[in-house]
Amino acid sequence: MKLLRNALVFVACAATFNVVLPDVLVAQNIDTIKLVQPAKDSWPSYHGDYSGRRHSHLTQITPQNVGNLSLAWVFQTEQNAQIKSSPLLIDGILYFTVPDNLWAIDARSGHQIWHYVYPPNKGDHIGQRGVAVYKDWVFFMGPDAHMVSLNAKDGKVRWNIAVADVNKGYWTTMAPLIVGNHVIVGVGGDMDNLPGFLKAIDPETGATQWEWDATPPTGTPNTATGGMTWIPGTYDPDLNLIYWGTGNPTPVLTGKPRPGDNLYTCSIVAINPDTGKLAWAFQPSPHDTHDWDAVEIPVLVDGVFNGKPRKMLMQASRNGYFFVLDRTNGESLLTVPYGPVNWTLGVDKKGQPIPNPEKEPARDGRLIAPDEGGLTNYRSPSFDPKTGLFLVDAHPSYSIYFAKPEDGDYGWAGADYGLWGKGVLDAIDYQTGKIRWSHELGPGGSGAGVLTTDSGVTFTGDAHGNVLALDTSNGKTLWHAGSGASMQSSPITYELDGRQYVVMGSGGVLFAWALPQDTVASERQGPSTK
Amino acid sequence: MKRSATVAFLVVVSAFIVCQDGQAPIYAASSAQAQSADVHAGDNAGAKVYEDNCAVCHGEKMEGKLPDFPPLTSIRKQLSPQQIAGLVRQGKGRMPAFSNTDLPEDQLTALLHYIDTSQTTMTATAGASTAHSSALSESGGSLFQQNCAFCHGRQADGGETGPDLTHSKLVAEDAGGDKIGEVVRNGRPEKKMPRFNFSEQEMDGLVAFIHTQAAKAAAMKGHRRGVDVTDLQTGDVAAGKRYFNGIGKCISCHAPNGDLSGIASRYTGLELERRMLYPEDAKSKVTVTLPSGEKVTGTLAYLDEFTVAMRDASGTYRSWSLQNVKYSVDSPVNAHVDLFGKYTDADIHNLMAYLQTLR
Repeated sequence: MKLLRNALVFVACAATFNVVLPDVLVAQNIDTIKLVQPAKDSWPSYHGDYSGRRHSHLTQITPQNVGNLSLAWVFQTEQNAQIKSSPLLIDGILYFTVPDNLWAIDARSGHQIWHYVYPPNKGDHIGQRGVAVYKDWVFFMGPDAHMVSLNAKDGKVRWNIAVADVNKGYWTTMAPLIVGNHVIVGVGGDMDNLPGFLKAIDPETGATQWEWDATPPTGTPNTATGGMTWIPGTYDPDLNLIYWGTGNPTPVLTGKPRPGDNLYTCSIVAINPDTGKLAWAFQPSPHDTHDWDAVEIPVLVDGVFNGKPRKMLMQASRNGYFFVLDRTNGESLLTVPYGPVNWTLGVDKKGQPIPNPEKEPARDGRLIAPDEGGLTNYRSPSFDPKTGLFLVDAHPSYSIYFAKPEDGDYGWAGADYGLWGKGVLDAIDYQTGKIRWSHELGPGGSGAGVLTTDSGVTFTGDAHGNVLALDTSNGKTLWHAGSGASMQSSPITYELDGRQYVVMGSGGVLFAWALPQDTVASERQGPSTK
Repeated sequence: MKRSATVAFLVVVSAFIVCQDGQAPIYAASSAQAQSADVHAGDNAGAKVYEDNCAVCHGEKMEGKLPDFPPLTSIRKQLSPQQIAGLVRQGKGRMPAFSNTDLPEDQLTALLHYIDTSQTTMTATAGASTAHSSALSESGGSLFQQNCAFCHGRQADGGETGPDLTHSKLVAEDAGGDKIGEVVRNGRPEKKMPRFNFSEQEMDGLVAFIHTQAAKAAAMKGHRRGVDVTDLQTGDVAAGKRYFNGIGKCISCHAPNGDLSGIASRYTGLELERRMLYPEDAKSKVTVTLPSGEKVTGTLAYLDEFTVAMRDASGTYRSWSLQNVKYSVDSPVNAHVDLFGKYTDADIHNLMAYLQTLR
């Protein structure tokens, strides 16, 4: 037992990011340090840190006291749009968004400091997932594929640049990723046959530093377009590589005009953040015909695999497979489905699923698992170092896919209909892919992201709009509250004035939960104080 | 009446105080700068006038706050600049009047210009009533692209998750937005469709656009996209019947001469196939055992891990905390879920062929 505990502690330590700052960093200013080693009173980037584990070292809220969790404050956006953003916390101020709207609010009280409204525009308003902050500047994406740099103090616009052409069919929803002096941003747009790309933008001038294209240009014979890059990736400062997922190929549901694997669509790519050069790529869905973007968070974990210490990358992919890769070179360590999957002929030598041609969309329909929304989608999973569990909001589901020549070879080019699905929080053992526990989240599916903490508490939401706190070791419910709408974002946590807050958006409302002040005071004075 | 005017006045005054506090939304000033390519010079002044006087009720983006304050994004479809000026000077309903002292003539002119340049749609076609319906559809199209196209596709013929509206029964049965409007305003939470607070004008445009798209799609005839009844005729009736009575075990719950009698007359094509695979509206029965030992049975209305609810035989909604009761659910529809992992595609096509004989 003790041996096991020591082993787990080793994993936990190894999984924690470097204590000493690596010397390969381009810019070693205070901002880079804050991003590599976030303080407990901050959540300075989309994932909270560069690893994408959405795991916090805070321990004030525990499995024992979480039952007392209560409302600290709520913030009403008074917008119809659902909150899909992950807030940032910097110097006591939370920054979060819905399409066309960016707020700075006081993280202690939830009151508004400023509110920026983006001008009316033609972009797709499907969602807005948050902002990035570098020095005193906030970087916000408009639906029309523009990047706006604003003063964090008052929300005044410094500059506004186009990163892609909205008239061609691009849009943007993502929180950019800051690495060194690069603001790295991707795009959305699969209603047209357009190449996806990543761009590094100069945080001061807005000039493009480099661009990496996921596919050849539109019109290249027998190739796919697509590979949209709409969710922020992760970063390993030691290897100086960013890891990014790319979206499905276009035309979406018709594969004939684009034979082959369609690189680099539905791929996990490792890219040098200073040059934009590709280091390696792994393709979760070669020749995808089901709209299964592989943009889900590439989670970086240092730990033991098969007895050896490894630098790993884990992704629970939309196509239904859980992948563990060696992130130094992209080699596969594990490929295993984490729910019903019926579209493959097996897995190839590289660890990539082999698509079954019989399961491509057809005139008379094909029954496909999972459905188009996938076995999971963009909301973040979490990796808990102590238990070695990868927790993901899963969506076991079935659907029918159709395509015929009349659908053409542009954009969607087919039709698909979801039949049935449900939500389950799956706790995957990363070394085996076995599901150690599952927690049912209700019919249809949940969509909530996941946050874990060092004290062994997991925060997520169910299909009914309940916010849940679970015991990370066994998935049992410890606390809940009805929030009135299902959570479409991923929770964050931070500590201010010695009080731990958990913040999450449901519908158009941002909720901050904390232990009651008197509990906090006694916890801090008690012998268990750390 | 006087009282409501005072209230309106107070709202305006307090809005000023909020603005002074520096908490006001900062759209106007910063956006004008941000969008320099799209916004004409001189709009800074109009934007400022709007922000100071109008935004508190009509919204920072003129989106309005329904049901109390109308959006102004398409106001030029309804009113000429002269009419707007009249309204501003005289007030209307709860809208206060702005006199020459409140709003000097140059400021009013700047405001009118700002409103003009901020219309989301068709200022060019405003007033040209002959072009009304196509302009309406065009403005609806723009709204559709921003809010609906992601799920329902650019042409409303289906996209991510959202159904093809050009083949939709609801759209076919809609008259002037009576059905579409209801769905858009209320959403379909169970299918993850959000609700939208569009103005009446916006809704008219949206409805016009959807009907235009449906008409275009219908006119395509042989080159019709989406799923047609004729696409679903690849199965074998005899094999489907064998599946129904054999390994599919459909016969254990359904009767071709009973509940399924005439099913192919009630539903056709994709709708029939989807119902066959999973009837979304199937009801489950729940029995709740109260602490007293009494058992209550009804139709399951809600169930999460904390609460169970039913409609009892009289139609009354009743709910219990799961801490206090035991319950059991009977969901025959789960047999459909169990089949998903067992079907081949041929099984489905054959079953579909057989069901289509039950007229």
